[in-house]
Amino acid sequence: MDDKYPIISILGIRFNLANCLSVLLCAAIVFAIVLFLSRKIALKPTKRQNVLEWAIDFTNGIVKSAIPGKEGQQFYLFAFVMFFFVLISNMFGLIFQLKIDGFTWLKSPTTDPIVTMSLAMIVLVIAHYFSVERLGFGNYLKSYIKPVSFFLPINIIEQFTNFLTLSLRLYGNIFAGEVLLNLLVKMAFSNGFGTMIVTAPIQMVWQGFSVFIGSIQAFVFVTLSMVYISEKIEIED
Amino acid sequence: MFSNLIVGAPAYLGDSLFVLVVFIILVALVGKFAFGPVSKMMQNRSDKITNDLDNAAQSREDAAQLAAQRATELKSSKSEAVEIVNTAKQNGEKQREGMVTLAQEEVQTLKQNAKKDIEQSRVDALNSARDDVAQLSIEIASKLIKKELSVTDQKSLINSYIEGLDKQNEIR
Repeated sequence: MDDKYPIISILGIRFNLANCLSVLLCAAIVFAIVLFLSRKIALKPTKRQNVLEWAIDFTNGIVKSAIPGKEGQQFYLFAFVMFFFVLISNMFGLIFQLKIDGFTWLKSPTTDPIVTMSLAMIVLVIAHYFSVERLGFGNYLKSYIKPVSFFLPINIIEQFTNFLTLSLRLYGNIFAGEVLLNLLVKMAFSNGFGTMIVTAPIQMVWQGFSVFIGSIQAFVFVTLSMVYISEKIEIED
Repeated sequence: MFSNLIVGAPAYLGDSLFVLVVFIILVALVGKFAFGPVSKMMQNRSDKITNDLDNAAQSREDAAQLAAQRATELKSSKSEAVEIVNTAKQNGEKQREGMVTLAQEEVQTLKQNAKKDIEQSRVDALNSARDDVAQLSIEIASKLIKKELSVTDQKSLINSYIEGLDKQNEIR
């Protein structure tokens, strides 16, 4: 796409303000929703608390399916936040698309590969950190030559492919969805009132489908994150 | 987009850092304000439910034990009651018998006393009647003697008396 982004530079590091703003807003929305749901916590849960507990159980279930037992418990919070952050990020662009003077200010953060790569990098760092913590540095290095030594290059490449597949799958799905949404918007405004009426139901259908895709992708992202982490912290005999 | 990414990689380093910082802050905030307390509450609840289940099993056991105890106690109290009633009956019987014998004895003594009294009074009456009869007969006799004793009779009487005196003297 030929979008232009507002870019500023601080200390030689350049920030894409559209990404930063969207990420910040998504984080704020996630926090606001979670905070709203977690007021008045009681042993006998209220409606809001039930919703939050259901969500926590859901993400805990994702973690448990990949990392059963006690080791998984330290990832519950991470999985919860990651799931809802990615979910809200995927939905964000379906509701807010802000362009001023040709510059994009608001969009889904996950339509930018750098954001998804950042998230995947967080997952990767966590996986390797806990691998070293759990196995010890020697065993961590040894895990690269398992089951046999000539697997070393394959194991190293696997880390990069994990990283790339994790980030680009998410990026591709959401980006494609929003490209089509933008095309539909352009089509709607291309020829006056008539095209609007024709496009509106198509847009609605595609937005609904995008909600579905966004939810699935958030689920897949967290599930695969946990699978990668479980692979790294697994103790092999 | 990809050429942009690779060639202009430095252009996006800021975004990456920003995402990292925002994500860490988000994790911290959510953990502190929502996830932590709710997870703790869920844990508390599961603990409480486990405890309650254990307690329920315990109290059910206790209740069964107590019920069994009550049943045995009830049984023993029934037999005890029967015993009490029996002893009471026996006591009543004894008392009744005692009273009856006492009454009979009393009646007997009363009867005997009455008989004795009657006998006594009969004897007394007889005695007094006998005395009276003797008195009367003496009086009657004296009156008859005074009137109808003739001289000869008086003489013989005197003689017999004197003879009696003589005999008395002889004995002396």
